[in-house]
Amino acid sequence: MSIDRSQLMKHFLDFSVVVTGFSKFNLQGTDQVAAYYATIEKVVGDEILAELLRTFHRLAEQATGNQLIMDRGMRTDIFGSEKLGPIARNIIKLWYVATWYQLPQSWRDNFGVKENDVTFVVSPQAYPEGLLWPAIGVNPPAAKAPGYGTWSSPPVITLR
Amino acid sequence: MSQKQTSVQLVDLQTVANTTYDVVIVGAGISGAVVAKELSEQGNQVLILEAGSYKDLTLAGFQSYVNTFYTAVEKDNNAPFPRNPNAPSPRSPDVSKLIPGQTDARNYLVQQGPLALDSSYTRVTGGTTMHWEGKTPRMIPDDFKTRTLHGQGLDWPMEYDEIMPYYRIAENELGISGSVEDQKAIGVPFKEGYVYPMQNMPPSYLDQKVAEKLDDTKIELNGETYQLEVKTFPQARNGVPHPDYNQGKGFIPDKLTSVHPVEYGERCQGNANCTPLCPVQAKYDARRTLGKAFRTNRVHLLSQAVASKIEINSENGHVTAVQFKHYQDSDSPQHTTATAKGRLFVIAANAVENARLLLASGIKSTSGLVGKNLMDHPYMLAWGLMPKATGTMRGPICTSGISAFRQGSFRNQQAAFAIDIHNDGWGWATGSPYSEVLDIVNNKNKYGQELRQELISRISRQLLLAFMIELPADPSNQIAIDPKYTDRLGNYRPLVSFNVPDYCRQTFAYARHVSRLIFQRTGAEDCTHYDPTDYGYFTYKGEGYTFKGGNHYAGTHVMGTNKHNSVVDKYQRSWDHKNLYLVGAGSMPTIGTSNTTLTLAALCFISTEQMMKDLKSQELRHAVV
Repeated sequence: MSIDRSQLMKHFLDFSVVVTGFSKFNLQGTDQVAAYYATIEKVVGDEILAELLRTFHRLAEQATGNQLIMDRGMRTDIFGSEKLGPIARNIIKLWYVATWYQLPQSWRDNFGVKENDVTFVVSPQAYPEGLLWPAIGVNPPAAKAPGYGTWSSPPVITLR
Repeated sequence: MSQKQTSVQLVDLQTVANTTYDVVIVGAGISGAVVAKELSEQGNQVLILEAGSYKDLTLAGFQSYVNTFYTAVEKDNNAPFPRNPNAPSPRSPDVSKLIPGQTDARNYLVQQGPLALDSSYTRVTGGTTMHWEGKTPRMIPDDFKTRTLHGQGLDWPMEYDEIMPYYRIAENELGISGSVEDQKAIGVPFKEGYVYPMQNMPPSYLDQKVAEKLDDTKIELNGETYQLEVKTFPQARNGVPHPDYNQGKGFIPDKLTSVHPVEYGERCQGNANCTPLCPVQAKYDARRTLGKAFRTNRVHLLSQAVASKIEINSENGHVTAVQFKHYQDSDSPQHTTATAKGRLFVIAANAVENARLLLASGIKSTSGLVGKNLMDHPYMLAWGLMPKATGTMRGPICTSGISAFRQGSFRNQQAAFAIDIHNDGWGWATGSPYSEVLDIVNNKNKYGQELRQELISRISRQLLLAFMIELPADPSNQIAIDPKYTDRLGNYRPLVSFNVPDYCRQTFAYARHVSRLIFQRTGAEDCTHYDPTDYGYFTYKGEGYTFKGGNHYAGTHVMGTNKHNSVVDKYQRSWDHKNLYLVGAGSMPTIGTSNTTLTLAALCFISTEQMMKDLKSQELRHAVV
């Protein structure tokens, strides 16, 4: 792995923490960081992914820990970017349900149709690692069962 | 493990061609499995022809289904099973809204309307029990005589008391967890002292929260008072064995069959995915019964063999053989046509495929009722958000429901219904939780902690009520064939005509009313809406509703009292062809508000007793083939 790619992979993990709301520890525990990075690279290409991650890194450096500044930067330069926004949103979905969703038609019209840009689940290993399930305090359907009768107990999650 | 390991006797075409079996069965689903087990255990040589593949019987094969399910973008009932153009199965994501007056032949099931039916079945070894939910309520006594009592549908040629002992046999075979007390409370009679093999699945936390607000409240209908009670459903799922079962002898759940030395079938552990697949195989499927059949060493299985024609001796009306098309590879239409010979023939391919095969063979029956009277349970869904987090999406898909409206004098005017409380949220209605993730990320512009909170708020409070509505037999709802529509092997495809009559539409309107009362009493926010672009959308008295198919195909070869009012007798034996049995839900004259599998299994146990008598009779003992 080149130094640049390994640096970008670190940015990817930092970016993922911010957009998913899960800790670095949680994300690494899924064992999917490299798989998702490779998936995104394969679908949109390394240049666009690098642009997204460098933008994120610049925002993080500029914000110096200030949440308001960071949020404004994330919303303006990433989620509100015609080019980067759909990819950032797709990365959230990738983490939450292990699925790459085909990019919106408007993105494809403006930035080119990518050969691998179809809707797919990354792998059988990725499916049970979706963050949606721990986010709502349940097991992924058909995996990681919690045990007989556990469904009778009150949920561990609460509404804020 | 004391049990003998299963060894499946797979056979080749040559063996089949050179053998005259005692019994030839078409279909390795639950009906075929019960018949194969019972008749082989009593000394008969049995052949099962299965249209789908056989890999289900290996642990590796089953695991490949789990992985296929994991990577499926559309997680519908048939998601674990790769598409097989040589023996296609209907799939709900394929269904789209019909254009009035136009036939939709884009998919295997040719839709003639007026309403599009999205019910599926599964053509693999194990049949549709490979994707079923596993809910196993008995039918209630009134369901067997709806024509006499309510002037609706058909009467059975038997009463509840006659089938009751066979329900017990079926409940043993399927390994049911349930509460007899809960079922008695809703009007199901049981033999004194009977308990289910296993204790009921514990009710979900969601069930408890609904029950807290709803239990003992009342609703008036036609001057009668109906009391709402949340009660558990019996289910074919391994739970805690009941110590009092079988006069205190207890119950040991069957393990799964596999050709590898792993027999796997654990207690339910809350995988929250009963449909389509329980990854630990706590849910019964027909492979368990097939395993017992194979252990007799008298059962041959020929998979990838699609029955194409039943051959009849025109002189005496006896069936002489079943013609089938055997393929090596589901990726190729290459196949060999051959026949299977026997003394007794049992068609157990489900209500749709049975009718298709009979019609393809020119067998319409004296009554002309083959393919007619197609039934299913149209479901109406209503969904809301509970006031507090209930931790929805935990546990078996459904543990409890409300059965107050399964019987009553109102059935003279409108159909009965039962209500399921879904533990899996709104998925069936809206595509949740995936649709929630997409909406929150794409449209609500949430990320990070806000996203997580929004997901809890929108998913963890979900309450989906599924109203299972009775549909009486009506000859215009039917399965037909047409030479214009064939599949890749040249077999006829089923043409379905389906409508929901006013008798049921009135119940949709009433069920929607009841759903509002339930939401009002539980304090749930009613989020139900029916979209006119939905393929199941219809209107009644100016209001729109959406129905979903129940995957409970039935009625296409109804049983009755004579050859003019029915296709089969109460033993599921063809009136016209003495050595032909048509088994499964296709024989049922009504389906009431019960999922069909337990009842059709009980019927198969009745049938096998008669089959044994037939096989010993002078006529069949020396059957000339």
